[in-house]
Amino acid sequence: MKHLPKHVRPRWRYLAVGIEAWPDAGIERSDFQRALWFAAGNLLGDPGSADAGVRVVAYSFRDGRGEALVRARRGTVSRARAAVACVSAVREHPVRVCVRGVSGTMRAARERYLDGLDTPERRSDVAFDGDARDGVCRGENVDVVAGDDGWVGARRRDCGTDGE
Amino acid sequence: MYEAVCAHPDGDSTVARLAATAASAGYDGIVVRNWGATSADPDAVGADTGADVVRGTTVSVTDRAGASERIRRRRENAVVVAARASSPSLNRFVAESERVDVLAAPMADGGDVNHVIVKAARTHGVRLEFDFAGVLRASGGDRVQALRGLRKLRELVEHYDAPFVVSGRPASHLHVRSPRELVAVGAEIGFTDAQVRAGLREWTHLAARNRRRLSAEFIAPGVKRGRYEEDP
Repeated sequence: MKHLPKHVRPRWRYLAVGIEAWPDAGIERSDFQRALWFAAGNLLGDPGSADAGVRVVAYSFRDGRGEALVRARRGTVSRARAAVACVSAVREHPVRVCVRGVSGTMRAARERYLDGLDTPERRSDVAFDGDARDGVCRGENVDVVAGDDGWVGARRRDCGTDGE
Repeated sequence: MYEAVCAHPDGDSTVARLAATAASAGYDGIVVRNWGATSADPDAVGADTGADVVRGTTVSVTDRAGASERIRRRRENAVVVAARASSPSLNRFVAESERVDVLAAPMADGGDVNHVIVKAARTHGVRLEFDFAGVLRASGGDRVQALRGLRKLRELVEHYDAPFVVSGRPASHLHVRSPRELVAVGAEIGFTDAQVRAGLREWTHLAARNRRRLSAEFIAPGVKRGRYEEDP
């Protein structure tokens, strides 16, 4: 189909979002998109969700951290932000999705708010609750394996990661 | 603005991790409202993460008999005391307890409020909590019930001008949502921006007021040390 003339094309805003999950979560782009549509549909209803038109236009995720650009129609940024806040799990993996900023172009959003994914350090000597456990360290943050209960989010000050 | 959190062992993240996440989300601090004690040192965690950490507690009120004594004992060690009741009649008991700061999640788990409870909360200075956890993390019928409860509570609070707090009740750093996101969610479910922000600021006010009362300077409500008093 022929492109619309520029003055009648919809105007978009791009939400740069950070995604945080436990290190063993594997979240594909299609999973995230589905969770976002589900959250928007449930919170805003079908008409509101269609108005906002949220769509994932860029996505990367590795080792429990991710970044994405979410497109929303201009004037619906607040509603899109609310929908993003309601994404609490993707394929049963708990996630935290936070809006880092909003821009008018994908390039500006990427340059200002997305800074790439780091590689975490995996350790097997994290002292937590009087026990040496497996853990994944990122800067000061440490995700510790807590047996069958899953993970515990901690900081380096909560545990010894150098065999202390 | 502060967020009231449940930390490890009640939740999935330690106090320090929650404080760091809350600080990065734009909060000034957190109120730790565990059922029991945590081993974290609030001052050290605050210095490390840049977020003020307030020692709080949540008392479970399941019967009237021992509840007052339990609340009194917890009050001695905590800056902010929240109480969670398991029925509408116990909600009223909590709303009439002046030692309690916050009636936590009054609509959850079969709880309910009416005009009597809201008026009692206003008279006794007990804050009613708008708990956004159901909106943020539940789905289906549970979420509809949570929304219905929030709407009823909001209408009563607005009508009787009762004090309130707002919280997303995070039990893990993955549950933390920034104030701006809570405002956006609140706008979708009928709250004004000012209401949500006032509810988040109320935790700050509670913490500051109670810390002042717990300090050695405090003598009694309305009484303070004069400028002519000299230490022996």
